[in-house]
Amino acid sequence: MKQHPLCTDCEQSADVMSMPIPAGLKQEWAAIETRRRFLGRSGKVLGWAALANLLGERGLRGDAHAEAPPQAGPASRQQLKQPFFAPKAKRAIYLFMSGGPPQMDLLDYKPKLAALYNQDLPDSVRGTQQLTGMTAGQAHFPIAPSHWAFKRYGKSGTWVSDLLPYTAQMVDDLTIVKTTSTDAINHEPAIMLMNTGNMNAGKPCLGSWLSYGLGSMNDNLPTFMVLQTKVNAKENNQPVSSRLWSSGFLSSEYAGVGLRSGGDPVLYLSDPNGVDRAVRRKMLDAVEALNRQTMTELGDPETNARIAQYEMAYRMQASVPELADLSKEPQSTWDLYGPDAKEPGTFAYNCLLARRMAERDVRFTQIYKRGWDVHGDVTGVLPILCSETDRGCYALITDLKRRGLLDDTLVIWAGEFGRTVYSQGGLTPDNYGRDHHPNCFTTWMTGGGVQPGITYGETDEYSYNVVRDPVPVRDFNATILHCLGIDHNRLTYEFQGLDQKLTGTTPANVVQGLLA
Amino acid sequence: MKRKSHARVAGLVARLVALAIGVQLILLPWVFKLDGKPHANWQQFLGRFHPLTVHLPIGFLVLLPVLEIAGMSRPALREAAGFVLALALASCLFALTLGYLLAYGSGEAGPGVMRHMWGAIVLTIGVMACVLVRPAWSSGAVSTVYPALLAFVMLTLVWTAHQGGSLSHGSNYLTEYMPTPLKRWVAPGAGASGAAPDSFYTQHINPILDANCVSCHGASKIKGGLRLDSYGALMRGGKDGAVIIAGNPGRSLLLQRVTLPQSDKRFMPAEGRPPLKPEEIAWIKAWIQQGASSTATAIAGVSIQQAPPVPPIQPVGNYSSMMPAIERMASGQGAKLVPVSGKPSDGLILNTVDVAGSFGDAQLAQFDAFAPYIVEAELGRTAVTDASFDTLAKFTHLRALHLERTAVTGAGLAKLAPLKQLVYLNLSGTRVTSAAVAPLASMKNLRHVYLFNTPAQPAAAAVNTPQSAAGSKR
Repeated sequence: MKQHPLCTDCEQSADVMSMPIPAGLKQEWAAIETRRRFLGRSGKVLGWAALANLLGERGLRGDAHAEAPPQAGPASRQQLKQPFFAPKAKRAIYLFMSGGPPQMDLLDYKPKLAALYNQDLPDSVRGTQQLTGMTAGQAHFPIAPSHWAFKRYGKSGTWVSDLLPYTAQMVDDLTIVKTTSTDAINHEPAIMLMNTGNMNAGKPCLGSWLSYGLGSMNDNLPTFMVLQTKVNAKENNQPVSSRLWSSGFLSSEYAGVGLRSGGDPVLYLSDPNGVDRAVRRKMLDAVEALNRQTMTELGDPETNARIAQYEMAYRMQASVPELADLSKEPQSTWDLYGPDAKEPGTFAYNCLLARRMAERDVRFTQIYKRGWDVHGDVTGVLPILCSETDRGCYALITDLKRRGLLDDTLVIWAGEFGRTVYSQGGLTPDNYGRDHHPNCFTTWMTGGGVQPGITYGETDEYSYNVVRDPVPVRDFNATILHCLGIDHNRLTYEFQGLDQKLTGTTPANVVQGLLA
Repeated sequence: MKRKSHARVAGLVARLVALAIGVQLILLPWVFKLDGKPHANWQQFLGRFHPLTVHLPIGFLVLLPVLEIAGMSRPALREAAGFVLALALASCLFALTLGYLLAYGSGEAGPGVMRHMWGAIVLTIGVMACVLVRPAWSSGAVSTVYPALLAFVMLTLVWTAHQGGSLSHGSNYLTEYMPTPLKRWVAPGAGASGAAPDSFYTQHINPILDANCVSCHGASKIKGGLRLDSYGALMRGGKDGAVIIAGNPGRSLLLQRVTLPQSDKRFMPAEGRPPLKPEEIAWIKAWIQQGASSTATAIAGVSIQQAPPVPPIQPVGNYSSMMPAIERMASGQGAKLVPVSGKPSDGLILNTVDVAGSFGDAQLAQFDAFAPYIVEAELGRTAVTDASFDTLAKFTHLRALHLERTAVTGAGLAKLAPLKQLVYLNLSGTRVTSAAVAPLASMKNLRHVYLFNTPAQPAAAAVNTPQSAAGSKR
């Protein structure tokens, strides 16, 4: 057998056991020796395992023509890269409102609160609900009615806050969920739960599961792209980390690819001076040959992921500049998205990019907008947040709709939790703050697969507890997968002895009431 | 001798008691008249246990003939039958009492309720008669009266139970999902409403009332004296007067009651049934506003997107045997045929996004061989022209066709007419004119046509620019 180039001492070593040294040292050497051999061998074993995995069960059994077992059970390998059943939506755009938007100031209209101004939230409503450390010590929980008026819009007569004049124009297209509920009360666990179905880091996110389960539609662009909105310093910006678009235990090919909000959308994407496409190609071919050699020697599947990523980056050198070139957009685009959209990194700009990615069949695009963590100064900050996002959301939906893309694109608007009806800190007639609230928060979806013009679920008159039709995060995610043709119980990946899935181990249900 | 006379006296007393109960039962509907008005709450409270208790006598009575027949070979069972019969009578009386309390307390009336009530009274008297004649039968003295009476009781039981079931589940509960041929045989000529068959009322209002209201305000149950199962009955109104004031939705009681807050006691549909959908309320409102007509076919301002029903999706054949050819196409041309799902009968999607620039009519023509399996053709941004319609017309299972930002002008769009499955056609950003797309109107299933950024685009609605948020406050 050929010796590994990095391994210089593992095949022929002096016989330590016969040397005149203390027995304790000999024992220790034996232990090291065993461990070294074990590691050396296990590399090869892993290589075989990976090879078997790549060939699939069929390759090993040699019956290439065997029919795939019909239905039920986890998806077998050959079933992946395509939906389990004919999907309503082929792609999805997720507008993530990081920080937790206050539902009762936006879409969850609670008219009775006005009369309860500054009264304590009844203990019977609060119950045994856990509070964050920020308000658990408060002696009082004074009710803060929304500062803004609500009006009814559309044929559906949906109540919308004056803060969202654009969203109000499209309520008949939206599927509003008032009763989304989560288990986490702090940002990091809550945002992980929303994105990966688990509060702890290390699990693949929704976009990675979609890439893994459905594959790519466009070979020249990543399957899963992430756009971050530029931070506004006036807002309370919670950090958003790449853990949220990580592929966890899935191959890193399925991780989200982020575009930068300023300058080059992807760093070092353009070739340096003096390097043309041919040189780049030659270099990549050489690197690939080396990588393939490493692959055959060590068998680490991540090597394949690396090869694929180099190739993707090469193709992106042509496709990304075309994607981000807005110079050919007609005037009607700018009329719709507004002047903000011309400035890279704004929410409106990202919405426009998301539409262009949908046109180019990017499977999943996620836009992050931070700053919704309004613990204080709601009346000062919330209008800024709404003016930054309201028009972009409306423009994106309207644009997708008029271009015929909304039929098979699912758009999701959600944060990681809601906010409390009682004021955090002082309550004055002009201002208040709101703390994190997991029991109920408002989200919406629209497009392929969901029923337009409906409001699902009901919260109590304090927007504190769910009265009817709760939608836990796992059900929310199961419904998203369903719209894309995936049975959440069958899209699994065996890891650490468990058939892992996005919706976790607690039984989850597709929310039929949301479906078209 | 003395014992015998003693037994005779007991028998006589039993007969007298039975006669008294029977007379009382028959007089009951005249003493406590079911006048459709609710009475005491305690009556309703107890009455609501009727659906629970009513299954007890049913069980006993069904058991009875089983025991009697099985008792022919095992006498012990026949002995038990006497006991079960006594239990049946007791539970009959109990269930009947509760049932009457329910009807009287909640003010139920209507032919369905009356039929169920009389069925129950006759049944109870029948069971009582069985109790009286059974001893003679079991001692072998009289052989036919008891079996005949028992058969009669069983038939009455079936009929009465069916009437009760119709009250709680609706009279079409059994027939709703019955296979059509059977249905025609069982219930010919159902569903006349006294309005024109193509009217807005028949098409849209009646189905809403049917689905949400008629179980309590219909032929079998007439709560509040109100029936909503026909146009005439709807306009006649109920105990509280008219429920529809033509031209005045605000004063129409029906609309008022369905728009109350759900917590209101008078909210309809009552008893926790799901409320009407916002759009249904909007239709009823518009219909009343514009005269609550029984003939008008359209209501101004209401466009109900109901169009033709979605055509049932036709499965394409199994293309599995063509997989090698499909893969060769992908590696040769670059355009891919992608399965819609893991089920081959869902068809294939023609995906050209990776080679859009070089994909033209000639390349499309090469997909001829796969024509019947392609359900969606993504030709947006490709180099195809009007010549592509000749090939596309062979894609008989095509449901969605993307031609956005291509050079097509629409000449020859009429060639797509044979594509009966086509529901989606995207021509955005092409040079098609309104004249060119006119032939599409004849394609009944084609419901999503996109003409954004084309000369054929309907007058562009100006982008709404709502006033800024800062202006309005609480």
